[in-house]
Amino acid sequence: MASLVPLKEKKLMEVKLGELPSWILMRNFTPSGIVGAFQRGYDRYYNKYINVRKGSISGINMVLAAYVVFSYCISYKELKHERRRKYH
Amino acid sequence: MLSRVVLSAAAAAAPCLKNAAVLGPGVVQATRVFHTGQPRLAPVPPLPEYGGKVRLGLIPEEFFQFLYPKTGVTGPYVLGTGLSLYFLSKEIYVITPETFSTITVVGLIVYVIKKYGASIGEFLDKLNEEKIAQLEEVKQATIKQIQDAIDMEKAQQALVQKRHYLFDVQRNNIALALEVTYRERLHRAYKEVKNRLDYHISVQNMMRRKEQEHMIDWVEKHVVQSISAQQEKETIAKCISDLKLLAKKAQAQPVM
Repeated sequence: MASLVPLKEKKLMEVKLGELPSWILMRNFTPSGIVGAFQRGYDRYYNKYINVRKGSISGINMVLAAYVVFSYCISYKELKHERRRKYH
Repeated sequence: MLSRVVLSAAAAAAPCLKNAAVLGPGVVQATRVFHTGQPRLAPVPPLPEYGGKVRLGLIPEEFFQFLYPKTGVTGPYVLGTGLSLYFLSKEIYVITPETFSTITVVGLIVYVIKKYGASIGEFLDKLNEEKIAQLEEVKQATIKQIQDAIDMEKAQQALVQKRHYLFDVQRNNIALALEVTYRERLHRAYKEVKNRLDYHISVQNMMRRKEQEHMIDWVEKHVVQSISAQQEKETIAKCISDLKLLAKKAQAQPVM
């Protein structure tokens, strides 16, 4: 079933599940493409939560929470040994 | 700069000319046309007032909206509770001494934010307002400056129309000066001529007077010379006798 809009220009939320692999493979994986992707993500977050007249604490809060979760994931390997029970 | 205006006007008027090699005076690269697109971000769109809404300070509102059609209002909260219980029971999240310090710190942070968040926000907003007001001032000052420059340019352009007054005045002055010099020289010429003529007249007068005097002297001299000594005596004797006669007559008369 051919889609009406070409696959290349769809955003991630509009891509159907079956087309996901081909969509992912089609993205730009060159270094400049990756840098561009990071830049775009940063710009989106910045312009939505920080670059406003009355910004709230949640703009920074979400970044800190994401950092906390990320560092917990990194240090999970050592934390595994402090579990109270061995079998769950 | 005027060449660019001309080129952009030409390109706007006839879009087919955009790629043609348009040659104009002062254009260094003959094939490039500037300022042909629509101006983007002009005027700059204003900053949004509030950021994206976030619930519990951590989770954006879009997540709740995403789950609302399927699970209603309580869906995300139930999901959160279920996930946290799962992590705790399977010990994917391990309870360590650090957990208690985390709870304390997070509780403290939440308390401080709840209590002082609004006032800190106001303070920062005030700082921002001051910054923006300063920049606005600069902008207004620049606009005013440029407006003044434009007005002055217009005034100067209007003045150009009145240049002929200056030249008229100068022309009049020169004509007056010429007239004055002409009359001065005329008067001088007249005076010089009169001077010469007066000289000739006075020379003539003097000659005539000298001749008269000379003639009179000469006649007198000759007359005096011609009177001999004897004639003189006779004349004086006759005069005396005549006077005596007259004296007698005069004496005789009043007595009568």
